[in-house]
Amino acid sequence: MTAIHTRGLTKRYPEVAALDGVTVRLDENRIHGLLGRNGAGKTTLMQLLTGQVFATSGEMQVLGGTPVENVEVLSQTVFIQESQKYPDTFRAVDVLRIAAGAYPNWDQAYADRLVEQYRLPTKRLIKKLSRGQLSAIGIVIGLASRAPLTFFDEPYLGLDAVARQMFFDDLLADYTAHPRTIVLSTHHIDEVANLLEHVVILDQGKVLLEADTDDLHDAAITVSGKATAVDAFLSGREVLDRKALGTLATATFTPRDGDELAAREAGLDLSPVSLQALFVHLTTANAASAAEATDIRRASDRAIV
Amino acid sequence: MRIRNVVQLHTVNKLQAFGWPLIIMSLSLTLVLVIGALIVNVGGAGAREGMNQGMQYSGAIFALLGPLIGFGFTAMGQYFPLALGFGLTRREFAAGTLLVFLGNALFYAVIVTIGKVIEVATGGFGLSVRFFDVVYTGLGEWWQTLIQTFLLIFMVMLVGAAITTAFHRWGQSFLWIFWIALALLILPVVAGFLLSEDFRAFAGQVGAMGWVPWMGVILGFAVVGGGTWLALVRRAQAR
Repeated sequence: MTAIHTRGLTKRYPEVAALDGVTVRLDENRIHGLLGRNGAGKTTLMQLLTGQVFATSGEMQVLGGTPVENVEVLSQTVFIQESQKYPDTFRAVDVLRIAAGAYPNWDQAYADRLVEQYRLPTKRLIKKLSRGQLSAIGIVIGLASRAPLTFFDEPYLGLDAVARQMFFDDLLADYTAHPRTIVLSTHHIDEVANLLEHVVILDQGKVLLEADTDDLHDAAITVSGKATAVDAFLSGREVLDRKALGTLATATFTPRDGDELAAREAGLDLSPVSLQALFVHLTTANAASAAEATDIRRASDRAIV
Repeated sequence: MRIRNVVQLHTVNKLQAFGWPLIIMSLSLTLVLVIGALIVNVGGAGAREGMNQGMQYSGAIFALLGPLIGFGFTAMGQYFPLALGFGLTRREFAAGTLLVFLGNALFYAVIVTIGKVIEVATGGFGLSVRFFDVVYTGLGEWWQTLIQTFLLIFMVMLVGAAITTAFHRWGQSFLWIFWIALALLILPVVAGFLLSEDFRAFAGQVGAMGWVPWMGVILGFAVVGGGTWLALVRRAQAR
């Protein structure tokens, strides 16, 4: 069943189109990665899907209904956002008490365990907490709420590597015990790559790629070897990235049937491309093509003038 | 409707919601009592009478009312984004917050009224001071103080919430328009006071109008503030 379905979802601000005709379909009870560079529209998409902002145009269905002012949908949704502001006079314990009342599936015993695990000083004023401790509040709420639809927007800013690993382990363990739909937005792509079952990559407000992570393993391959051999092999193939160092070169390309065998026969080394590398290739290639299109448009404008 | 959650959002920190306003009020009252004791001991009966008359206009009670004025601002500025973050709807937030405004206005109006009754019964706490029995909270009967204080607190909360919501929606440009509009209203009044005898007479008549019309004015501001707030909050977005 589909947890989230958007069609042509657009959000424009006076200066910029934060989202531009986004169409995605996210199945329920899976962990989805929402990836993109800064300003790609990830947070805006999650804000739209949780009814925090209004769409300029397009349609969205969340858990079978529109999320805007919909108690039935929003009571089953938790959105942990990196930019969440808490009243300065609040303590962490105040935020957790409100969360306990707001989410029907809240597990207090689990929340208490997480508070201890992340060493969260619950009686300290929010304004005196570190960035990592603020993130820990969000993690406790996001996990202990056990909401059928959970959004995490950069949930571990400021957390050290140990705490981040703890979060991944907790997320996976709790998800296994209590399956639900999780949408995880992050820049630490390699750290979460093994968690993700499905990925949406946004770039400049548009969907650049939407695919299952299993399919992505075959989406690109990196070959390396002598530059002349690499260039000869790449001829006629779709190249995502190419780097040269002296007489050696490395290139990532979209493979076709038989390409792996052909590369080996050409004496090239093969390695699978990581999700992060693929993300970097796709977004930089998209930025380059956008810049090229802009240059062509400017040149054309100048010619008309 | 998850109104209970919204009420909890506003009141979860009891010290902030109820403790500090009462603590600050107590400190202010203590200061007034100390001043009263000094004046009575040093100045004698004449000074006592003069102090009692002058203190009708004492703003010491704003030590309590001041933080409550800010309550409307913080409701929208700090609690609204958090409410949306917790998956509460705007409708639920508005209903719950309205209930909190009503409850707060009633709670503090009762506190002020009890204070006034004690103050009047004890002759200004035995020192002829005025803290609760002042023009802002009503110089008439106790029930008038109850109504006036309730309406005043309720009104400032609604107006504060409306201003913050408008700022939320239109940003700095709203503030510019608001302050310019306010200046355009105030300047002619000040000019009228300074330059026109007729205007001063008219203002005197307005100032001397009865308690009921004044309550009507406060209620009018509350209705405009509340209506504006409820209309704007329906389309307010997270920032």
